[in-house]
Amino acid sequence: ETTGLQVSSGLQDLSLRDRGGRRRDFHDLGVNTRQAMVHVQESKTGFSGKMVKLTTNHFRLTSRPQWALYQYHVGYSPEMEARRLRSALLFQHEETIGKTHAFDGSILFLPKKLESKVTELFSRTRNGEDVKITVTLTNELPPTSPTCLQFYNIIFRRLLKMLNLQQIGRNYYNPSDPVSIPNHRLMVWLGFTSSILQYEENIMLCADVSHKVLRGETVLDTMHSLHSQVGEERFRDTCAKELIGLIVLTKYNNRTYRIDDIDWDNNPKGTFRKSDGSEMSFVEYYKKQYNIEISDWMQPVLISQIKRRRGNIQGSVALIPELCSLTGLTDKMRNDFSMMKDLAIHTRLPPEQRQRELGRLLNYIQKDDNVQKELRNWGLSFDYKSVSFTGRVVQGEKIFQSGAMFDYNPQFADWTKETRGVPLIRSVPMDSWLLIYTRRNYDVANTLLQSLFKVTPSMGIRMNKPNMIEVDDRTEAYLRVLQQRVTPDINIVVCILSSSRKDKYDAIKKYLCTDCPIPSQCVLARTLSKPQTIMTVATKIALQMNCKMGGELWSVEIPLKQVMIVGIDCYHDTVSGKQSIAGFVASLNQTVTRWFSRCVVQSRGQELVDGIKACLQTALRNWSKWNKCLPSRIFVYRDGVGDGQLNTLVNYEVPQFLDCLKSIGTDYSPRLTVIVVKKRVGARFFAEIGGGLKNPPPGTVVDTVVTRPEWYDFFIVSQAVKNGCVAPTHYNVIYDTSQLKPDHVQRLTYKLCHMYYNWSGIIRVPAPCQYAHKLAFLVGQSIHREPNLMLSDRLYYL
Amino acid sequence: MDKNLQEEFTQIIKFEPPLYKQRYQFVKDLVEKYKPKKVADLGCADCSLLWMLKFCSCIEVLAGLDICANVMKEKMHTLSPLPVDYLQPSERSLTVTLHHGSVAHKDPCMLGFDLVTCIELIEHLEESELKKFPEVVFGFMAPSIVVISTPNSEFNSLLPRVMLYRHPDHKFEWSQAEFQSWALETARCYDYSVEFTGVGHPPTGMEKVGFCTQIGVFVRKYPQTGEPVQSEQPMEAVYKTVFKAVYPSLKDEKYLQTAVINEVIFTAQIIKHRLMSKREEYSDDPERKSKFQPSTDCFSDYLGKLVVEKDMEPFVSGNEVYIPLATIFSFPKVNRLCGTFEKLRKLIAGKVTLSRDGSAVMFNIEHENEEN
Repeated sequence: ETTGLQVSSGLQDLSLRDRGGRRRDFHDLGVNTRQAMVHVQESKTGFSGKMVKLTTNHFRLTSRPQWALYQYHVGYSPEMEARRLRSALLFQHEETIGKTHAFDGSILFLPKKLESKVTELFSRTRNGEDVKITVTLTNELPPTSPTCLQFYNIIFRRLLKMLNLQQIGRNYYNPSDPVSIPNHRLMVWLGFTSSILQYEENIMLCADVSHKVLRGETVLDTMHSLHSQVGEERFRDTCAKELIGLIVLTKYNNRTYRIDDIDWDNNPKGTFRKSDGSEMSFVEYYKKQYNIEISDWMQPVLISQIKRRRGNIQGSVALIPELCSLTGLTDKMRNDFSMMKDLAIHTRLPPEQRQRELGRLLNYIQKDDNVQKELRNWGLSFDYKSVSFTGRVVQGEKIFQSGAMFDYNPQFADWTKETRGVPLIRSVPMDSWLLIYTRRNYDVANTLLQSLFKVTPSMGIRMNKPNMIEVDDRTEAYLRVLQQRVTPDINIVVCILSSSRKDKYDAIKKYLCTDCPIPSQCVLARTLSKPQTIMTVATKIALQMNCKMGGELWSVEIPLKQVMIVGIDCYHDTVSGKQSIAGFVASLNQTVTRWFSRCVVQSRGQELVDGIKACLQTALRNWSKWNKCLPSRIFVYRDGVGDGQLNTLVNYEVPQFLDCLKSIGTDYSPRLTVIVVKKRVGARFFAEIGGGLKNPPPGTVVDTVVTRPEWYDFFIVSQAVKNGCVAPTHYNVIYDTSQLKPDHVQRLTYKLCHMYYNWSGIIRVPAPCQYAHKLAFLVGQSIHREPNLMLSDRLYYL
Repeated sequence: MDKNLQEEFTQIIKFEPPLYKQRYQFVKDLVEKYKPKKVADLGCADCSLLWMLKFCSCIEVLAGLDICANVMKEKMHTLSPLPVDYLQPSERSLTVTLHHGSVAHKDPCMLGFDLVTCIELIEHLEESELKKFPEVVFGFMAPSIVVISTPNSEFNSLLPRVMLYRHPDHKFEWSQAEFQSWALETARCYDYSVEFTGVGHPPTGMEKVGFCTQIGVFVRKYPQTGEPVQSEQPMEAVYKTVFKAVYPSLKDEKYLQTAVINEVIFTAQIIKHRLMSKREEYSDDPERKSKFQPSTDCFSDYLGKLVVEKDMEPFVSGNEVYIPLATIFSFPKVNRLCGTFEKLRKLIAGKVTLSRDGSAVMFNIEHENEEN
């Protein structure tokens, strides 16, 4: 009874066919990087640290012994075009091919072998046309073949569909029990992400709880409220900024579209060409097709580009704002503290609850007869208990600051208290600086100044009285003051802003990062308005300013000598410029406390890597200037790599790094390690502590069971979270001539997570990645071109 | 018929839009005309007619019946509510159910329908089934309207490659006379009137052949007798339900309450926001005129007109902002959802923080700007 379910969408997504062009391979299957690294052939596991018992969100997939999947090619004579017709004709022969099958129009998968290698079947179409169908066995696939893995994923999506979950994008959600957050007109659906992959020893399902944020308003509603907020003049720009790049759902079908453009010259009365060549207006079409009356005939039309996979035909779809609902969060919403707080209550599930929700899904799967039957028909089943194993918690680092050494509480992964009032490694004096504020914020400015005078002496920062400048609360007023008063001898410019209006901030940053390269610090007046927190805030600002001017705060022990650490991250400006920005940072000194930075601004379609090569060259030049020699080891931490891009990285980017090193000199051959850093992973780990599930402590390293056999990869949980589940970071060493033991690479990586100066604690990624992210974000959001190189040896982008 | 002429037509007959679409459109037009609330499609196959009908706003109950569960299941998910149906529940209620069973059997779930469609169904029935069919549909289900379509065998000579029947599963194909006599007899027997029509026009000069698909529209002569008549012995369900989807609707108190609470809080938030920013940024709000005139209830316009009655004005007192319920109720969207002020109060009771006397929505703004 479970046959005949639609499999085509899944098959299409995963593209089982080799169509010669791009294949969408989200899981980077078939990129085998480990085989080239001899030193990790035998083992890629580390050894240091204390053992910890862990469970995960992985579940073993089991199949009966000698299980195989039979792949057939299905041909039609005469040739039939329509996929639906092809399926209908083939399935007239269920008594031959069986009731269990997956068919995408040309490839057929069966759990059993047909009697002969070539089977000929005869069908008749509705028009009475006789068709010969030839079913030819092309492959007998073992359970671990890549095609089989793709197939498992398709089958699993089928199961989720059978459970009446709704597909939105790549995941499935349960619509029947939503959480609504009326304050922000949001709705949250609980759902699941799932992927089935070959892990170290088993094929496993990795399932995780996922939350979909949906918005209870149409795009037209949003346009109206934007209009009332910004007025006519800035309306179109604001719409473009707020809406382009968002994903919408439509009222009439179950598809998602990305808004790529807004056509202001069109409206629902406009016409489009239907597939049969006739013209029809949108109003007419929606009335006829879906009985939907469009009420606002003056609204513009949204444009969504679609990439047809077959033959790369590009086309676009026009959508009516009134019929589209928004999904997901915009950057603006993400920056809305109260909104994120309200959301977090529902989306940040603590470990036990998260596992419980996941258990519910597995329970549905286990209890549903149809689902079980489908699985049985394919000869597959799951282990409904999640996989457990042991991980290691590596030892905490010692924090060094001006000759003093500190331990931190490993549970909180934070040393704010421990290092309070201790001199910094290198403090930069503030002899000459500007403090700019509006009249309304005069008191606030004074409060900040007094507090800074109180907190800076113990840090060892020498500070003079600033030039206090009052301005009107307009962007031009700020800019005029900057142009008149900022001179090269100024250490830093501090601006107190009365609102988080982005344009003012952008203008200030743009001027002081490009035209007139002086470090700057913007502070929101509101942040300084609470007497209880002012000292903490002032301390943070003092530290941040010191870093921006080239100061150093603390260090950890880095045992490797002559090493340069590189961090790369990308920012994709989907809104205005259609640019991509790669942030590049490289360490300058032995203690890894100073960083050189550059960035690459690239328009759409260009490869980032060419620019990165130039960055690496200047970084090496600077390193040799600082150290009087070239580094003998280089570690590249590469963040911002999307799903399915690993192949490009291995085949294109790494060779470019090597080329670049070669170009430095014939006798120069440093050891190079390239590590891909991934924050968005499906894996979650839970420590079994005291009979319950807890977040694993910072420093937990996992390099067995849930890693991939074809990679030299590991996970580190480096940060601590107050609520919800901690997300491990995945590290994939794709190139390594360092000859270092895996344990040392893991330790170095963890050490680097301690070195981000904007947070006196351990963060999720190595500091160079976070610096690169900060830089790329600043340039992508505010500056839009490469900042002045005069600033390149300071953390001005913090 | 002239042999040559016939040959010629055999080559060129092609319906535009395709015949199956014309049949569906016929049903859709009928629905538009009679506005039935409950519609059943017998022999619903891959549910494509049901899918079209779910967009007809008059229909509140849709049912499908087919003898083959697999073919129904193939596309049944297209009958599920869409995410947007949950996000913006509609006014009307809609339930879609699919049953697995035969039109030769009676099942109480088929009682009380206004319209029953049998599109290209009867020609698939075995003789024994066809015999029971009228009693089940006209005698038992007894809807106000029945639509039956079936191939017109006289047209077959114009269709290329049709040897005996148009589809291998067809048990018979009737001429116009055969269909009409069966239909008239059935109508007479169960007190219905019947009118004949069809889709797929014959080529000019060959009108005698009739429509490619012949259709009979049966209308019950006797009035609805209130509750459907129950037979003496309690009926047993013989069909198996393979699918059921209840669409979110504002008729359902649960969805209505959520919608009202959402709208009330959201409206109150906007009024609050306006109030606060007026207090803060008194200078930065020049008058704006606009060409982008929203046709429905737009906030900005509405707020302008708001300052009519004094006791409807929102106000701040200490750390609290008060937005009178009366103000919120005066917003068209809230008003339309609740109907009466009392209903509004009832729906939000205990779900929205109100002032002590219950006349205003209250927000505490003390911790508003705590961070960042």
